Amino acid sequence: MSFRVIKPGFFSTIQDRGRFGLAHHGLSQSGVADEHAYCWANYLLGNDADAAVMEITFGGCVLSALIDTGIAITGADLGFKINGKPQDHWQVLSVKQGDLLTWSAPKNGVRAYLAVQDGFQTKQYFNSRSANLREKVGSLIQVNDELLTRPSKPSDKGKTMPAWFKPDYTEALTLRLLPSYQYEQFSQQQRQLLFGQAYKIGKASDRTGCRLEGNAIKNTPATMISEGISYGSVEITTAGLPIILLKDAPTIGGYPKIGTVFSLDLAKLAQHQPGSDVRFELIDIETAQQLRREFNYFFEK
Amino acid sequence: MFDIKLAGENAIIIYFGDDVAPELVEKIAFYTEFLHESLGDLIIDIVPSYTTALITYDLNVVSHQAFCNQVSEALAKAIYVKQQHQSDMVEIPVYYDSEVGLDLDRLLSEKQLSLDEFIGIHSNQTYLVYAIGFSPAFAFLAEVDERIQLPRLTTPRIQIPAGSVGIADNQTAVYPIESSGGWNIVGRTPIDLSLNNKKNLNRFKVGHQVKFKAISRQKFLALGGRF
Repeated sequence: MSFRVIKPGFFSTIQDRGRFGLAHHGLSQSGVADEHAYCWANYLLGNDADAAVMEITFGGCVLSALIDTGIAITGADLGFKINGKPQDHWQVLSVKQGDLLTWSAPKNGVRAYLAVQDGFQTKQYFNSRSANLREKVGSLIQVNDELLTRPSKPSDKGKTMPAWFKPDYTEALTLRLLPSYQYEQFSQQQRQLLFGQAYKIGKASDRTGCRLEGNAIKNTPATMISEGISYGSVEITTAGLPIILLKDAPTIGGYPKIGTVFSLDLAKLAQHQPGSDVRFELIDIETAQQLRREFNYFFEK
Repeated sequence: MFDIKLAGENAIIIYFGDDVAPELVEKIAFYTEFLHESLGDLIIDIVPSYTTALITYDLNVVSHQAFCNQVSEALAKAIYVKQQHQSDMVEIPVYYDSEVGLDLDRLLSEKQLSLDEFIGIHSNQTYLVYAIGFSPAFAFLAEVDERIQLPRLTTPRIQIPAGSVGIADNQTAVYPIESSGGWNIVGRTPIDLSLNNKKNLNRFKVGHQVKFKAISRQKFLALGGRF
């Protein structure tokens, strides 16, 4: 009862909601880069909200189904096909034993999610199946890996996301920023530089951090005593450029932080290629919490 | 006495003081424990570090403002009593030799110390865990004696073997897993401090005390040490 990996692709891992309650040991949150696509995939299949999925970055991936089961593909359009036939995303599909599932290359977005009925049953590390390569917790998916699943039940075939919900990852991205941490220590002028320009996503970006390129903020506050980092914190390095700290980031760090990006905007960021533009605008804590709570209620019922 | 700031849509950070000091770390360890006990149902993670504690909480059940109020009230109730005797002492065996201590010879010549003098200074004192992070189970220990302090390498090494013991300014630490890093490596412990060994989850906590114990090459190998 599994999927066999014929080609692992450029960067494919198993991820779930993440690893919690262990940050004081230095274990980062980890988990899916795009929570929006992840939640939809499990929701469509009627899975638990924290079921494990496969996160496929850029494509180049081929799996062979060794089981009949229901699946959902969400997130990026990486040219997904079953036995060479293009398939719709954001809906439940049936696969039969022997079917070949392929993801070729990015058409819209960069990270696709494969959810299976009841979630992947791969090895757990500290109560989560999420791989974090920086921490050497779990590993990249390798050729010939067998990704375990549960015996299948009749699926909710045809359950689909309403068309008007479907995201277009080519849309311009504005990240809503909470004025957190050392925000007050940056001058009016320094903040204006952050909010007034379009940054480009740098090539060295990964699941640990998104490095932005643009006009540097000068005379930033000095490095500080290391302190706890929350998901989406925006460090301003000594060079004056932002790094948005993501799921695999270390739990503590010593650069000043100008704010924290709202989580559902980080989900969108996870679908943007190096070279694309991003901007920042402010959001207040009440609005951010309200939006995130609505999102959580929708998926946790 | 403390200052609470926004850290994210479901996170706050508490600043307990401005300066790094042993008493402050012990205090933060105490307050962290207290907050876990009083607000455990709302809290997802607490990360203490030097002068702060970052708390993430469940925003489905409590709002930012309500949570800040509850934390303030809890902290106002907590009465810190300095621990009389420190029971949480961790001892780490270390093989100090240039065979495993990549920077040991340079340190000895710069500081004009014999190996025995260096070992005496590094292992005769007790260190306090100020923070855990960088990588899982990586504990920042201080304060290193001035006679053996060295700044970080200008270019970090790409691969430092697991178990390596390093010094960076007034701090010392063991690399629990193989990783990159810029600390001056002076020895290696044969014991597995990584989280691959589940027992290590409770080996280090912020506020714990740590001592190094010099061991021979033979003992290093007998305890499972590898080159």
